[in-house]
Amino acid sequence: MGDSDDEILSRVAAGDPAAARALVARKLPRLMSLAGRMLTDASEAEDVAQEAFVRAWKQAPKWRPGEARFDTWLHRVALNLCYDRLRRRREVATAEPPEQVDEGPAPDRGLEASDTSRRVQRALESLPDRQREAIVLCHYQDLGNIEAAAVMGVTVEALEGLLGRGRRALRAALIDLKEA
Amino acid sequence: MTRDGMTPERFATLAEAYGGDVARWPQGEREAAAALMSAEPAWAQSVLSAAAELDLALDAFAAPRAAGDLAQRIAAGAPKPRARWRLWLAPAGMGAGLAAACAAGLVLGVQLGAPQAGVIQTGDGVVTAADDEFSLYVDEAAG
Repeated sequence: MGDSDDEILSRVAAGDPAAARALVARKLPRLMSLAGRMLTDASEAEDVAQEAFVRAWKQAPKWRPGEARFDTWLHRVALNLCYDRLRRRREVATAEPPEQVDEGPAPDRGLEASDTSRRVQRALESLPDRQREAIVLCHYQDLGNIEAAAVMGVTVEALEGLLGRGRRALRAALIDLKEA
Repeated sequence: MTRDGMTPERFATLAEAYGGDVARWPQGEREAAAALMSAEPAWAQSVLSAAAELDLALDAFAAPRAAGDLAQRIAAGAPKPRARWRLWLAPAGMGAGLAAACAAGLVLGVQLGAPQAGVIQTGDGVVTAADDEFSLYVDEAAG
């Protein structure tokens, strides 16, 4: 069993470069997963991951072990950064409506894995942000209901409502995947 | 069909929210869910299978992978080790302040105080040091 996040953070705060590399190796894939699914854009996900770590480096000397889970704190920071970008996107989209894009697979070929991935991506993008956030935290980030609710700042009951509505909308949007 | 407080409606709600893998459901409700699954296996399996189909579709959307050098770039921004002389000088964060306060006090004492050993009060009120070493110390502390 490896060191806890708190132990690694205290070494980061002391300027241990190996600890910093260990923390990045441990958390970067999770941040890319989170930001990638929230923003559905690899480049923006990298920017969010980088900025979240900048904040983690600043936080490390002030971190008090046992007061909060670092993973929860990092998720909250990354989600706030994602929401900043989603807000900016909406402002730009309002000013400049995007062109219509192809919404489905070509009719003359079957659903390849990449097609399914794109369909799911679009279905997730079409969800209200909070429903997408709930699904990303519980399904992709594998957070428990209490921790996901804490990250979102809602009750467990509200989280369940967001998950249920989100998943029903996804099922309706992806109904033809089952038939394919 | 109720077992240990778990109704079919609650079972279906949990499957709708958390998916077809009961291991991902709230910990406090898994046991009651298992009891209901034992009592109504066919019905429970149909509910879980429907939820699992969506889980499978969601899994097809892979997370983007970070660029090859991103981890290195991020780690390079981590806090750097503090210089040894800083650690020595400020064991409680007060060393530098204490040294500065001592130096300032010494200068003030020299300027306001009566003539002391090693200091000559000249007739026009100018303070000069009696030897080069003291003169150098006062200049540095004042500067």
